[in-house]
This record gives sequence, C-alpha cells and structure tokens, in this order.
Amino acid sequence: MNFKRAFAVTKRVFKNVKNDKRTLGLMLFAPILVMLVFGVAFSGDISDVNVIIVNNDQGLETPNGTISLSKDIISNLNTTVMTMRYMDNEKSAITLVENGEEYAVIIFPKNFTTNAYSGFNNSQKSSNTYITLKGDDTIPNIKNTIQGDIISGITTTMEDKGVKSSVSLLDEPIYGKDAKFIDFFVPGVMAFAAFLLTTLLTLLTFVSEKTSGTLERLLSTPISESEIVTGYAIAFGIIGTIQAGFLLTIAILIFDIMVIGNVLLAFLVVALLAIVSQALGILLSSLAKKESQAIQFIPFIILPTFLLSGIFWPIQAIPSWIRPFSYLIPPTYAVNAARNVFLKGWGLDKIWPDVMILIIFAAIFLILAVLYLKKRTD
Amino acid sequence: MDGEDEFAVFTSNLIKKLGNFIAVNNLNLKVKRGEIYGLLGPNGAGKTTTIKLLCNLTKPNGGKGHLLGKKFSDNTIASNIGYMPQETALYDGLTVYQNILFFGEVYGLSSKKIRNRSDELLKFINLEKWRDELVENLSGGMKHRLSLACTLIHEPKLLFLDEPTVGVDPELKMSFWNYFYKLKSMNTTILITTHYMEEAHHCDRVGFMKDGGLITEGSPTELLHQTNTDSLEDAFIKFSLGR
Ligand SMILES: Nc1ncnc2c1ncn2[C@@H]1O[C@H](COP(=O)(O)OP(=O)(O)OP(=O)(O)O)[C@@H](O)[C@H]1O
Ligand SMILES: [Mg+2]
Repeated sequence: MNFKRAFAVTKRVFKNVKNDKRTLGLMLFAPILVMLVFGVAFSGDISDVNVIIVNNDQGLETPNGTISLSKDIISNLNTTVMTMRYMDNEKSAITLVENGEEYAVIIFPKNFTTNAYSGFNNSQKSSNTYITLKGDDTIPNIKNTIQGDIISGITTTMEDKGVKSSVSLLDEPIYGKDAKFIDFFVPGVMAFAAFLLTTLLTLLTFVSEKTSGTLERLLSTPISESEIVTGYAIAFGIIGTIQAGFLLTIAILIFDIMVIGNVLLAFLVVALLAIVSQALGILLSSLAKKESQAIQFIPFIILPTFLLSGIFWPIQAIPSWIRPFSYLIPPTYAVNAARNVFLKGWGLDKIWPDVMILIIFAAIFLILAVLYLKKRTD
Repeated sequence: MDGEDEFAVFTSNLIKKLGNFIAVNNLNLKVKRGEIYGLLGPNGAGKTTTIKLLCNLTKPNGGKGHLLGKKFSDNTIASNIGYMPQETALYDGLTVYQNILFFGEVYGLSSKKIRNRSDELLKFINLEKWRDELVENLSGGMKHRLSLACTLIHEPKLLFLDEPTVGVDPELKMSFWNYFYKLKSMNTTILITTHYMEEAHHCDRVGFMKDGGLITEGSPTELLHQTNTDSLEDAFIKFSLGR
C-alpha cells in the first residue's frame, strides 16, 4: 500500500468536487433542504390528542387528608398535548381506541398511591406502581409525545412531593425526554444524507470512471486496486464529515436542536458510514454500464434506507417480520449510534456495538470493492 | 526460452472471448525492443482488445504473453508502460494541468519532476495556454493531445497507443510522429494502432490484423513488395482476400 498514490486519488476527488460547483451545492444543500422541509413539517408539535384516563387509584388516607399521587400526576399533564376525559370502565375505554375515536387510554392501577409510597418505604418494586398506556401504535410520533408527556408529569410530581419511588410507565419504548421531533430527526438525517450522497456520488463517479476510460488508464498504472479504494474512502469519509458538520450547524442555528453527547464522536460515526457507503457505491457501479443505468438504482438505495433505517420512526415501530431487513442495512447502525450520542449523551463505551458493526460492514464492503476491481470484468 | 527477453512484446496463442465472440484469436505478436510497430485492421479486428490484454486490463481466456521479458500480469512492469486508450480517458472536471499532475502522482513522480515534465509536454502538445482550463471545455483534438501527454508523463519504455492521432490536425500529427521518432531514438518501443494507411508507412513494421489474428506482418516496403502494390491499403485487401 503506497499512501502517496492513494492520496493522489483523494486529492483528485476533491479537485473534481471543487471544480464542479453544482455537485458541491447539491452535496451541501440537498440534505439541508430535506432537513428544513421535514423539520418544519414535523416541528408542529403534536397537540389536542384525545385520551381517556381510567383512574382506579383510591388515594391514601393520612391524618392530613387524602393524598392522591395519580391526581397529582394528572394535574401535571400537558393539556395542550392531550385533551383528557375520564372513564371508569377500562374495557369500554379501550373499545373507543379500537374504534379510532380516541388515541389512547392511560390507566392508573388500584392502590397506586399506597404502593408508590410503600414501594418507597421498603424499596421493593411493586407491580402496581406502573401506569399503563394503551394506545394506537400506528402513529408512533403521537404515541411518543403522549409517553413523553406522561413521563414528565410523573417526574414533576415525584420531585414536587419528594417521592423517590419507582413509578414508571408501562409499555415502552421511550426516547427523547423533552425532545422535539426535530431532535430525534437531525441525527437520522445526518446519517441518511451522508449515506445517500456518498453512495450516489461514488456510484456516479465510478461509473463515469468506467465510461470515460479513466479507470482503465488508472489500472494500467502502478496504482493498486486497494490504493484506489483507499483514496476514495479517505475522500468520501472527509466529505461525509464536512457535510454532516454543515448540516449540524444549520440544525443548531435554526432549530436549536438538542446535543447532549460528544459531537466529534457522532461525526466519527458519520464518517465511518460514509466509508461504508463509498465502498457500496463502487460495488453498485459494477452493476451499471453507464450513468443512465446507475440513476435507476437511486430508488433502490433511497427507499429501504428511508423506510427501514429508523430515521423517521424507531425500528421498534417497524413490523417485526420486516425488522431483520433493518439490521441488514448499514445506516440503521449509524442512525442509532448518532442518535444515542446526540440525545442520550452516550459515549464510545456504550455505542461501540454499533460502531463495531459499521467497521465490519466497512471492512467487508472495502474488500469486496477491491476484489471487484481486481476481477477486471469486461 | 522462446526469446521473450529479446522482444518488448511477445504473445503466444493469446485468446480473448467476449461473450460468444472471439475478439482475439490465437494471436502471436512479437514487437522488437526499440521499434515502432503498427497494428492495422478494420473496425472490430481486435486491436483495442489486444492492447487491453497486454496492459492487464482484461484477462485472457488462453495463451500467454510477456512484456519487456516479464509476464504481463506482473505488476512491476506497470511503471514502464504507457497506455493511451482509444477513448480520451481524462477527468473532465479537472483542468489540463490537474490531469497531468494526477497521473504523474499515480506514477509516483516527485512534484518537481512532474512540474518539469508537464512544462515540456504542454509545449509539445501545444496546450500551454490551456493549462488551467477545464478539460470539458477543450476540443476533441485537444483532449486527444492531452491524453497523449498523460501517457508520456513518466517516460515509459514501452508505449501502447490506441489510435493516437485520431482527430488531430495534420500539422500536429507531424509533430506527434517526430516525437515518436525521438522516443524511438531513446530506445522506447511503441505499439500503435491506426486506420490511416499513410501513417503506417512511418512504422518500422506493421501487422495486419483481422478477426482477432495477424494475417501478415513485415516492414511497409516488404508488404508492398510482396503484394506488388503501391499502397498499404491495397496490400491489406490482397492479404485479407488471401492474396
Ligand atoms: N462485451 C462484448 N461482447 C461481445 N463482443 C464484444 C464486446 N466488446 C467488444 N466486442 C467485440 O469485440 C470486437 C473487437 O473489438 P476491438 O475494440 O478490439 O476492435 P478494434 O480492432 O479496436 O476496432 P476499432 O478499429 O473500431 O477500434 C468487436 O467486434 C466488438 O464488437
Ligand atoms: Mg479499437
């Protein structure tokens, strides 16, 4: 491996991009446009969701009167988000959700207050300190908003009353406490943009290397196949990171998004994804003889990523029979890792499984790309 | 053994199939060191395919070949070879100089060497004024000239030129040939394909290629003599009809 030769390829890619203002513009502004469109469309925070509260809790009699933790929690719920009404019968409440008239039922169990306090006293988790949320799962964003609101209601109440009990909400998944959709969305869009643009750019660049004959000229020189692939990988790793940085800056300036974790770590993940993507681009180029054919691949690259990698909704919200496909596509891991870094503040110690899998993807794809070039297909 | 060392290009029974089509059929090509060898033949005769095989850009289905005494699949000969593809094969998005620079770097030349060499070559191809122009803005002939410059950047010992003078104006064509002679005088071997019969006269030897094989070879005067004709065109027709 001669890195000087590999860097020559890297520099060449950069010069090409620099001389081609249109590609440069596309690379930087397309993802921002996507983010703005989706960000604005989805940032209308969810409101006026009809929910039913079934409160089976009788409260707790104390010398100072009856205390009811459930009522306190309910009073701390956000009335803008939820339009609440009360029912006693759980079954008929659920029927209303089934009929689509209501979105969800929030159920407080019997002895909720008592158990919450005793649970605090003997520090033993009692199953009856769980609030159950039975909702319409088909619209995850709404459900997430409701969940988030209940959680914050619980937290506020517990802090007010000084109760350190294990009251929690049944039926996860819960993510992004206080997070707006855009917070959830930006890390996904960063990974998506890096994946898409790098794959497409490499695919098109490589197909044009083939059609113009430059690839053959290159292969007649002392440069090795692995040096070519390395040169490309470095170039697109850097391009992907710059692009992600640009996107993030805009996201912070315009949407004031939540960034808890280490931004550099998130960039590392995106760069890694870009390297995976460029190798994928080279591999895909083997299927296309000319640019017009390569363009036909675009839907096949975009759609699965768009639908399966968890950019817009969590993988947990994808039907379980289709979920294995999510784990077959690299952006899934990058989206997950970037999101965990941004929103949960996780470090490498926690996101390493995702990073590991990305590295494995990169290794496999890079090796395949080199082998493809070595094969000298006619 | 069969004298691979003595020849710059030596192939024995080289075969290349493209789909069901046999593009190169038992080709035995011998190019002596330091000579200019012209490969002539109609469209589809297999000239380009032969050069691609020699440059290890495609794998043969049979036979073997040596370049400068080494197997042509040997990676170490790449730095001694210059390949000018039939298509222009340049980066349209880079400037004239950036293209030369890139190929210079790929051949591992020092930046000083590249600078000197590119000045020299730009003068030769008469593109000094266009140095910083994007290749996409050049005319077809200019691109061809640049393509040749990129092939020559590392002063290769063995040159494969696939129709190097297509679309190049007559004046420049002359200067190309003068340059080829100069290279020859420095002991460079040149394998060149062309459709221009008048150019074939400039070669030391020419080979007539048809249907993937050589039908005959020899110096231009020999071939004219053998067929009793006064143009290589007629000679080719006579040979291809089996005299
Ligand atoms: N993928 C392919 N499948 C089948 N046949 C092919 C393929 N690629 C090339 N050919 C055929 O191989 C033959 C040899 O082509 P080649 O380019 O070597 O000819 P050439 O002598 O260089 O012709 P020209 O003078 O037009 O440049 C042609 O007839 C061409 O149609
Ligand atoms: Mg040809």
